[in-house]
Amino acid sequence: MIEVKELTKKFGSKTVLNGISFTADKGQITCLIGINGVGKTTILNAIMALTPINSGEILIDGEKIHKESYEKITFIPDATIMLPQMRISEAMQFMADFYDCWNQKRADEILQFFRLKENDRISELSKGNTAKVNLLLGLAMDVDYLLMDEPFSGIDIFSREQIANVFSSHLVEDRGVIITTHEINDIEHLIDKVVLLDNGVVTKEFNTEEIRENEGKSVVDVMREVYQG
Amino acid sequence: MSRYFKLVNFELNRFIKIYLVLAGVIILSQIAGVILQANSYLRMASEIINVEMLSRSEFINQYGTMSFYQITQSIWFDGPIALSIVSLLIYVFFIWYRDWLGKNTFVYRLLMLPTARINIYLSKATVIFLMVLGLIALQLVLLPIEINLLKWMVPLDFRTDMSIYEILMTNYMTILIPLTITEFIINYGTGLMVVFIVFTAILFERSYRWKGILFGLIYGAFAVVLFFMPMILQSTILYEFFYPLELLALHFVTGLIVMGLSVWVGNFLLNKKIRI
Amino acid sequence: MNLSLNKREPVYVQVVRHFKEQIATGKFEPGQEIPSRRELANQFKINPNTAQRAYKEMEEEGLIFTEGNNPSRITRDEKMIGTVRNELIVTAVDQFITSIRPINVPVDELVGLIKEKYKDDEKR
Repeated sequence: MIEVKELTKKFGSKTVLNGISFTADKGQITCLIGINGVGKTTILNAIMALTPINSGEILIDGEKIHKESYEKITFIPDATIMLPQMRISEAMQFMADFYDCWNQKRADEILQFFRLKENDRISELSKGNTAKVNLLLGLAMDVDYLLMDEPFSGIDIFSREQIANVFSSHLVEDRGVIITTHEINDIEHLIDKVVLLDNGVVTKEFNTEEIRENEGKSVVDVMREVYQG
Repeated sequence: MSRYFKLVNFELNRFIKIYLVLAGVIILSQIAGVILQANSYLRMASEIINVEMLSRSEFINQYGTMSFYQITQSIWFDGPIALSIVSLLIYVFFIWYRDWLGKNTFVYRLLMLPTARINIYLSKATVIFLMVLGLIALQLVLLPIEINLLKWMVPLDFRTDMSIYEILMTNYMTILIPLTITEFIINYGTGLMVVFIVFTAILFERSYRWKGILFGLIYGAFAVVLFFMPMILQSTILYEFFYPLELLALHFVTGLIVMGLSVWVGNFLLNKKIRI
Repeated sequence: MNLSLNKREPVYVQVVRHFKEQIATGKFEPGQEIPSRRELANQFKINPNTAQRAYKEMEEEGLIFTEGNNPSRITRDEKMIGTVRNELIVTAVDQFITSIRPINVPVDELVGLIKEKYKDDEKR
C-alpha cells in the first residue's frame, strides 16, 4: 500500500499541496483527478522522492522510500525520460543493465502489443509511440507499484485505445497503479478508486463501484457535484 | 558498486563522440603543425641560403636552428590543448545540465535508479577525471611521434633536438604533465577537488534554482577558503610558522576535507533537496 | 462478445446481467467453459478486479462453478437456468409495466397490441 499522509508542498510562497492524504492499494487502480495545475504531478514526484516536500510523510508498504524501493515502484512521467538518441533496443538494454526487476520477456510482449520496432530511435517516434515506449519501459519492470502521469494526454485516439487496453490486461494485474488525469472518459470503467483534488486538498476519495452501487452515480456525476456544487 | 561502474561506462559513452573528435583535433592539428612549421622553416632556409648566398652554418648562426620549442609555441600545438581544456571545463557543467535540458529529462531515470544517488555524482566526476587523464596520455604518446617526425623532416644540422623532459620543462605543460609524482598528486588532486566543489555548487543550483546560485557561490567560496586556510593562517596570524613541507601536508589535509565535505553535501542535496 | 457499459451502474452488475442473458438465451450452454477473469477483463475492457468481483458474485449465486484448478463453467443446474430466464423476463416485464402504467391502457388492448408488435418484430 502507498500511504500519503498530510503532504504539504510549497513552491516559493505558493502552497501547491496543502495536507494531502490518501492511500493506494496494491491490486487496485487509483486515479488522481483534478484540473491542470493542482499538483497531481507533484504528488507523483514526491512519492518517488524526485522533489523535496515541506511536511508530511509518504510510505510504501510501510517504509519510506530508499534506493531498493526503485526495484519495487516505478514512475512513468508524461515525457520520455530516456536519451532521445537511443534506439528502443538500447533503452531496453539500459533498463536491463540497471534494474534487477526488468523482465525482457514481458518487454518483448509489450513491444508487440504496441507494434513498436526496437530499432527505431526514440527521437524519431510520433507522440503516441513515444508515450508507448515510456509505458513499455515502466510496464516491463516487475514492480509492485506503477505511477503514471497523464498517460492519455495529447495523443491520438488509437494510441489512447491501445493504452487503455493495458489497464484491462495482465500487465497491470495484481499491481498497485496510481494514474493522474484531467480527463476521465477513457478509463472510467477501468479504475477502482478515485481521489479528487482541488486547491491543494483532497476533496473526495471514493471507490468507483461503490458510488455506482450505492448512489447510482458515475464518476463524472460525482466530479460535477464536487467541482460545481 | 557494480552500478557505479555501469554508470561510469554509460557516462563515458555519452561523451565519447565529442571526446574522440577532440582527440582527433589534437592529433591532426599537432601533426599538421609540425609538418607546416618544419616546411616553412626549410623553405625559409633554402630561400635565404640561395638568395643571400649564405652557407649553412652562417644561416644557422644568423637565424638559429629549428627545435621542438618553436612547435610548442604555435597555435597548432597550443590551440587544440586549449580547446580540450575549455571543452572539458564546459563539460563539467554540461555533464549535469544535459540531464535536465530538453524535452527528454533523463534525470528522472538517473534519480530512479536502484542505487545510492551519490554514485551518479561520483561516476560523473570519475568520467571527467578519466577524460583528462586520457588526453594527457594521448599527448604523451603523441610527443615522441612528433619529435621523430621533426627529426625525419629537418636535417640534423638545422635542428636542435629536445627530449620530452626538456619540452615539458620549457612551458606551461609542466602543469598538465607534472614531472614528479608529488606534483602530479598536487595538480590532479587539486583539479579533482575543484571538480567536486563545482559539482556540489551545481547541485545547489539544481536544488534551489535562483537562490541556489547564491548558495553555490557561497559554498564555493567557503570551500576555497577552507582549502587555503593553512596558507591564510601562515601569512596572517601564524607568521611563517610552518615549514614548506608542513604547509604542503596541511593543504593535503584541507584538500581531503574539502573533497569529503563536497561529496557529503552533494549526497545530502541529491537525496533530500534535488528537484527534477 | 461485446458489452456497452452504463456509467451509473456498477460494472460487475452489468457483467453479471450479461452472463444471465447469455445463459437464459442458451448462448452459454450448461457446463460450458467460460473465459478466465483475465480474458474477460481483456474482452470487456474492464479492470481485472471487476471481472473477479463479477465471477465471485456469479459463483455465489450458483450461475457458474469451479472444480479445483479447472476453468470455471456455466452451471448444469436446469432449475437454476430456468430461474435466471424467469428473472430476466420478470424484470423486463416489470420495467415495461412501469413505463406503460402512467398511460392507463386497458389490459386486453395492451395484450392485443403486444401480440401484434411482437409478431411484426419477429418477421423483421
